[in-house]
Amino acid sequence: MIFHGGRAGGRAIPWRPSDVYRGVSGYRSPVGPLPDEALLSGLVAGDPELAAIFVRRFQHRVFGVAMAVTRDQQLAEDVAQQTFERAWRHAQIYDSRRGSVMTWLTAIAHNLAVDAVRARRTEPMAPEDLEDLLDTVTATPEEWALADEASAQVRAALARLPREQARALMMAGIYGMTAQQVADAERIPLGTAKTRIRTAMARLRTVVAPAKRGDHVR
Amino acid sequence: MSGDANCERLREVGPELALGVLSGRERAEAVAHLDRCAECREYVRQLTLVGDRLVGLLPDREPPPGFETRVARVLARQTPASEGQRSARALGRTRRGLWQGARRARVRLAAAAAALAVAAGFAGWAVGTVVEQVTAAPPPAVESEPVLVGDMTAAGHGGEPVGEVYAHPGTPAWIFVSVALTRPGTRYTGTVTCLLERADGASVRAGAFALRDGHGNWGIALSEDLNRYSGARLTSSDGTVLATAQLRKAQVLTPET
Repeated sequence: MIFHGGRAGGRAIPWRPSDVYRGVSGYRSPVGPLPDEALLSGLVAGDPELAAIFVRRFQHRVFGVAMAVTRDQQLAEDVAQQTFERAWRHAQIYDSRRGSVMTWLTAIAHNLAVDAVRARRTEPMAPEDLEDLLDTVTATPEEWALADEASAQVRAALARLPREQARALMMAGIYGMTAQQVADAERIPLGTAKTRIRTAMARLRTVVAPAKRGDHVR
Repeated sequence: MSGDANCERLREVGPELALGVLSGRERAEAVAHLDRCAECREYVRQLTLVGDRLVGLLPDREPPPGFETRVARVLARQTPASEGQRSARALGRTRRGLWQGARRARVRLAAAAAALAVAAGFAGWAVGTVVEQVTAAPPPAVESEPVLVGDMTAAGHGGEPVGEVYAHPGTPAWIFVSVALTRPGTRYTGTVTCLLERADGASVRAGAFALRDGHGNWGIALSEDLNRYSGARLTSSDGTVLATAQLRKAQVLTPET
């Protein structure tokens, strides 16, 4: 599917807005939920009903990311709203080849949340919050049993990491802390913080993208 | 330094680069290497995927009551037409604000050049050149104003400057950005965010503005102490870094009249 604005030969959106209208007006869900990309094109078309469905579908994900990073309900709500506004403004340049709508929105929410915390706080995270979050993302409750296999593998790999590596990775990857901030928070040398982040990422990389023969960087 | 040595260095900093937590100077060096090394680009792409998957593990949360309705209402109000009108009004306000800020700054030569550039949509704006010329040949009796200047280079493409950043750390502080990402693969149309970076890698959002086909000019008054910042970067809506600049301190020297 081509979904990339401005690219030669490609269409900005996979359906004309009028196609979306014909497909949904009057009977919004005749045979099942609309694809995520169709909802996004509804945003492009300025359809208020599709915009509402879009928000309803993704609000838990977006707010969850914002809340995990900011740990502040009001700030998380602001970040979540900004995420949807930004998605609305940039819906035409979403590129499905780079990931799903869910991944795209999650990345926007995460970037905005990290920037919001950097702008408002001196301490990016509290140690007890980190432990709670680490326990949460490495747990395997029943409702996650049906999660996609890739996520399950990453979750399992994260759980297998030595705790200090997992903490360093969460600080950098979730809270957006620099290696120096990780070193300060953990009271370890900068080099040790960098090594923990690097080693943890290397282990998860073997799950996400197994090494190919001839890889010159491992 | 040989290619292998650069790849070795990239292997060390790649994870931090992929997670977006590498400091400005190291990031610039790493990005410059990625421009020349396809294998390291693939390595960082895989690490970026790891970062995405990690964020993807965060649990969903129930938003506050009424959130869905409020956001949907906001989106419904923001039709493309009203967005354009709002942007035009905002630009007008920004330009007026910058003009007033420039008058207050008492940086006579630079302020006059900047204000003229603002009034003309930044076309031909060359405050950086003015700064260079003035500092290279100081006049005998002068007023001095500290400024921050920097050339902007395209992320992943390095080399030639693609724009300029000029900042005046006064009260209020103000910053001007002019960028022309015209090389193949760097053109971008949409809203970009301007982030100011401290030496330790922390950053603060200065604001956002529109790029059209890679071109854009923008300025804003800020309440931040700009002396704390050593770099600036422009990011797209999904956080991709489009261009970066290292800021260096300089003085605008103006003859007494």
